Amino acid sequence: MSTLVKPRSLFIGLGLLCVLATWLSLALGPVSLPLLDTLRAALRMLGLPIAGDGLEQAELILGQIRLPRTLLGLAVGGVLALSGVAMQGLFRNPLADPGLVGVSSGAALGAAIAIVGGSLFGGLPEAIGPYLLSICAFLGGLGVTALVYRLGRRNGQTNVATMLLAGIALTALAGSAVGLFTYLADDATLRTLTFWNLGSLNGASYARLWPLLLVTTVVALWLPRRAKALNALLLGESEASHLGINVERLKRELVFCTALGVGAAVAAAGMIGFVGLVVPHLVRLLAGPDHRVLLPASILAGASLLLLADLVARLALAPAELPIGIVTAFIGAPFFLFLLLRGRA
Amino acid sequence: MRLSTSAIALCVGLLVTHGAAAAELPQRWVSAGGALSEWVSALGAQGKLVGVDTTSQHPESLKALPSIGYQRQLSAEGILSLRPQILIGTEEMGPPPVLSQIRSAGVQVELFSAQPDLPTLQNNLLHLGRLLGSEAQATALFDGYQQQLAQQQAWVSQAQTRAKAPGVLLLLGHAGGKPLIAGKDTAADWLLQQAGGRNLATHTGYKPFSVESLAGLMPDVLVFSDRALTGDAAREALFKQNPILASTPAAKAGRVLELDPTLLVGGLGPRLPQSLVKLSAGFYPAESAKATAAQ
Repeated sequence: MSTLVKPRSLFIGLGLLCVLATWLSLALGPVSLPLLDTLRAALRMLGLPIAGDGLEQAELILGQIRLPRTLLGLAVGGVLALSGVAMQGLFRNPLADPGLVGVSSGAALGAAIAIVGGSLFGGLPEAIGPYLLSICAFLGGLGVTALVYRLGRRNGQTNVATMLLAGIALTALAGSAVGLFTYLADDATLRTLTFWNLGSLNGASYARLWPLLLVTTVVALWLPRRAKALNALLLGESEASHLGINVERLKRELVFCTALGVGAAVAAAGMIGFVGLVVPHLVRLLAGPDHRVLLPASILAGASLLLLADLVARLALAPAELPIGIVTAFIGAPFFLFLLLRGRA
Repeated sequence: MRLSTSAIALCVGLLVTHGAAAAELPQRWVSAGGALSEWVSALGAQGKLVGVDTTSQHPESLKALPSIGYQRQLSAEGILSLRPQILIGTEEMGPPPVLSQIRSAGVQVELFSAQPDLPTLQNNLLHLGRLLGSEAQATALFDGYQQQLAQQQAWVSQAQTRAKAPGVLLLLGHAGGKPLIAGKDTAADWLLQQAGGRNLATHTGYKPFSVESLAGLMPDVLVFSDRALTGDAAREALFKQNPILASTPAAKAGRVLELDPTLLVGGLGPRLPQSLVKLSAGFYPAESAKATAAQ
């Protein structure tokens, strides 16, 4: 199989793209800071001895608003794309996305319970109030995925096809529960729920960031170690186990990593569609199906795409903001079609 | 250059808001609440507004200001780019992390209650008056408002001694399609009661309704509030999309009234008394005719 790009140049290209996206995400925003001020504030935050006169605003916007937002974008984009690769590898189906094992619908259910239930039952303790939505979304995602995985197991074997169907059934079930909460919601909570379903990197703060960064780092270090096993799995389950791969363990790891990564991403930024499904395809179109390239390259591509989408989200309607879920699909889908048609020609 | 001066302005703003005297009042305002923006304008300070949210639709001239988006989905940097000194909004304003980012940038963030009752409105108006340095005006505005409402109440109770309170349904729709019916615990319910109507819906919140049960309730008056269309176009669309409504007593008697949907969000606004008068006139047409004749 010939590829469009050699792995080496792909990594260099994506690495540069990612650095560029990070810089743009730090340098651009509705508040127009002079480039020099941004640079000086950034260097100052890195601990370099630079005079801080007149940099208060730049430092505040960079340190408290843009940096946490950029880090959130990198982590969410990276982990969503990575989970996409894991799912497509597990199901050996290019249509698979992280939602297939129920993590997205479970998270949506958790969020609906938190948003609508929180307003129905009124007062919450101050300490958990602000984090309730994230916690519920994360637990919902993890819970439904665990159930899907459990339903797919029989006699110590995980049947991927059963798991897929169980995922579809539980997604429908969670969807109907979300529908019920939508019905119970009043106008204001309804809008909150709708916006949550479109995702946003808005309001990123360090307190919400650390758990996600931790999870993302673990998943991003762990999954690429399974690249060879995933390559073997492409041949089929029995072939892979003949090659000495512990297929049951691999499946368990893939499902667990996806649930953990997507759950944490969704808890921090809401539902952001498209990245998990299409970024792995983009990379595959460019560099072929070898997971040793695909896994790390998808992290870079997902992170870059999400940061660029977020840039559009915050600049297009400034001083208002677009939900990022709208933008990811709006930029990503045409680009994907372009690659698809070019590949065919 | 402009930015460094604005940075200084921000720092000055920070110092001023923290100073106990607060001698200088905020001059650049951003409002994230429809009724609040209206009150600021009513207090003659529309010129101080530099940005409003999407619920601020009145007065018309506010639409020319930069939009900061929906009140629950504010963007910290977007708002800071307007270089405001103060951000006002109801307790629905958010998300909370964004508000704390805005606060940490030295912008005063003031929360108001959106509860639709007079004591809340009084507090809100006096608070706004203090922030704008026009307390006397705010007090006068509130007194006038209270008086208007009291007059309206007196009129309604008088009308009710002679006529039975009509059964009313309020339909909130979008271009006539699939209207939601306003039930208990809504601003709409409060409005209907103030205007002297009897809300026939017994559920809470705004809920879709089966047309059959809707006709079964036999409303004497229908009030529609359309988010997309106004006037006769909205009325036509409503009956075209829901033909069964034509069989209600309200439709047969031609008692179908319109209500501006922006009155239903964000607490009591300045346009409320007039709308209540109009609604009441529709609820008690005989009394209203008598009153006009007497004049």
